[in-house]
Amino acid sequence: MAEVVMPRLSDSMEEGTILQWLKQVGDEVAIGDELVEIETDKANMAYESDVAGTLAEILVQEGETVAIGTPIAQIGDASEVSGRDGGGTDRTAAGPVGAGDPPPPPVAKASSGAVPPTPPPAEAAINAPPASNGGGRPHASPIARRIAKERQLDLSQLQGSGPGGRIVKADVERAASSAGGAVGGPAAEEASATAGGGGSPAVTGPAADAVSPSSSPVSPETAKGTVSYEDPSKLQSTVARRMSESKATAPHFYLEAEIDMSRLVAARAQIKAGAKEGDVVPSFNDMVVKACALALREHPRANGAYRDGRFELYSRVNVGVAVAARDALVVPTIFDADQKNLRQIAGDSRALAQRVRDGQITPPELSGATFTVSNLGMFGIDSFAAVINPPQAAILAVGAIAERPAVRDGQITTAHLMRVNLACDHRILYGAPAAEFLARVRTLLEEPLSLAL
Amino acid sequence: MAELRMREALRDAMAEEMRRDEAVLVMGEDVAVFQGAFKVTEGLLDEFGERRVRDTPISENTIVGAGVGAAMGGLRPIVELMTVNFSLLALDQIVNHAAAIPYMFNGQARVPMVVRMPGGGGHQLGPTHSHSFEALFLQVPGLLVACPSTPADGKALLKTAIRDDNPVIFIEHESLYGTRGEVPEDDGVLRFGEAAIRREGGDVTIVGILKMAHAAAHAAETLAEKHGVEAEVIDPRTLRPLDLDTILESVRKTNRAVIVEEGWPHGGVGANLATLITEQAFDYLDAPVQRVTGADVHMPYSRRLEQAAIPHEEHVVKAALAALEGSI
Repeated sequence: MAEVVMPRLSDSMEEGTILQWLKQVGDEVAIGDELVEIETDKANMAYESDVAGTLAEILVQEGETVAIGTPIAQIGDASEVSGRDGGGTDRTAAGPVGAGDPPPPPVAKASSGAVPPTPPPAEAAINAPPASNGGGRPHASPIARRIAKERQLDLSQLQGSGPGGRIVKADVERAASSAGGAVGGPAAEEASATAGGGGSPAVTGPAADAVSPSSSPVSPETAKGTVSYEDPSKLQSTVARRMSESKATAPHFYLEAEIDMSRLVAARAQIKAGAKEGDVVPSFNDMVVKACALALREHPRANGAYRDGRFELYSRVNVGVAVAARDALVVPTIFDADQKNLRQIAGDSRALAQRVRDGQITPPELSGATFTVSNLGMFGIDSFAAVINPPQAAILAVGAIAERPAVRDGQITTAHLMRVNLACDHRILYGAPAAEFLARVRTLLEEPLSLAL
Repeated sequence: MAELRMREALRDAMAEEMRRDEAVLVMGEDVAVFQGAFKVTEGLLDEFGERRVRDTPISENTIVGAGVGAAMGGLRPIVELMTVNFSLLALDQIVNHAAAIPYMFNGQARVPMVVRMPGGGGHQLGPTHSHSFEALFLQVPGLLVACPSTPADGKALLKTAIRDDNPVIFIEHESLYGTRGEVPEDDGVLRFGEAAIRREGGDVTIVGILKMAHAAAHAAETLAEKHGVEAEVIDPRTLRPLDLDTILESVRKTNRAVIVEEGWPHGGVGANLATLITEQAFDYLDAPVQRVTGADVHMPYSRRLEQAAIPHEEHVVKAALAALEGSI
């Protein structure tokens, strides 16, 4: 019997949600078969089995979230499953248990050293693990269980914050204080008892009023109206966590520059005019990516990270491109952007954006970036400051290209100007080197021939 | 108050008791002329003479056996074994005789003997000379087990041990002989079964013995400074009898416990205490009891490997944070 555990599907993954079981109990599973679809903090992935056998038991039901390493299913050989199935649906009354399937014995037995290799069936049934962690007894610490009992809270309604989702004391105390039911319940009884004893309707009025708000299940109207709550998706939680981590730990400073894109605008118009049906025409953002990649190659600190008290400097230049997707934000990576020509970058970024929109993007495509470009120009934003995607050293925030007055050789003329803002982590990238880096990006974009080289 | 090293505090305890009671004597390998392998019996031969401070042959079972006989005959011997490691040679006398005789003779024969011996690793002495056998002796009914971590406790507990009519296994730690501490200059004794709360805190209970009592205390400071965690640190001081009430009271307050010892994990002091806590404070636990123990290996000789096999402050911090996972 092999145990399938929640796999770590990305570096930052701490827990995963079972979206869908692609095999049912009793199905044959071969190595490489897609077993289960899992939502991670970055993407949805089908997880392929690395053991062969028969899916004997599903331990984590669809929609449930568990920490990596938590057992989610058991895969055994066919006889084990049929043996179990033969025992009927009530597993605790199960009949024979395969000899190859020793149930985890209770601790006292294990330490006695005198456990018979195959326990008699009745004992085996008692020793078997809880029928289903999914629909059964919720994981809760002893004190959480005791408090829940005292305050008449239903543990199955609570979310655990402990390891592996265990409901701990803090969870039940929070639930007890926020529910109000625990307070309102006895108080309401007391109030009605008083009312009954006094026999005067005048007593019930104020007493009931005083009690009803707290015992009402409907969330009360606040100065902000009624409040509804939504649970963030995994991805949204990750964004929240990483962005606050970035702002809290990386000292940001910002460099702003205005870049004259007039020559690039003209160049792109020519490329577009000469493009055949189906040709990918590089966007301005692709050109910014390329310019950044070339400049990053020359400025190692900008292509690094401050991590664990050291500078990490990377040999590859991988530029992440922030893409808005279905109520979330993901940053697919254009690997080796300094080595790729504009057309390859354009092809990569189109393909990645499409995969993001289709929800098909995989964790490897979302990791490994050494720098990030975020562009809100398409929304008409002139300029903005971005939050660094940790642990990277910097992020370039790109505004819209707009034709604006410009002074050239003492004459007022017009130019296609684009404002950019470079947010830097001062722990690794300081003001002057950052300025040199940004100046290099500007030069590359203002003299577009260099981009084509 | 005088500031004494552990070895001086223990010596003072023996000297004071020998002055007080003529029945008290000391015997062991090199305890007289050489004044003890760790110099704990320094000066005793000069003051009390060779009848009461006796060098013995290298034969641990015989030394302890002679102690059992002397104790049954009305003396109060303090037997020094050079280290805990050699007590293995004397286990028959310790377990089958010292511990069992009072029971077998229904209390008509008593064995008021103290077996003193230092244990613990950390000095690159390899698998056979680095043992921590607290759990081994803790298991035996009839033996009292003391494991002091400070000079003051060492002195007061040893005086109590000498006066007690039961056989006492008095475990010292080789690394603690040089530690200094304030020791009251009175005739104070300390009742066995009275734990010390070294530090008060509401977040997690850390129980540590011998050298690990110090690791626990240091870990508590780190937890407070770096993690905002207020740990309550308890030193049981004696393992049998054990002041379980103080530990349980603390666990009922903090809901979390970490037990730190230098010995092996299986069947260890921590394993035993974790069971007692789970049995008696089950409904107060918010996380499994964490144990920090020596590694489940024979003690390596290599310095790095040896250090890796012995618990340190950082392991205690980690275990405390693990016990608190989800709540901080």
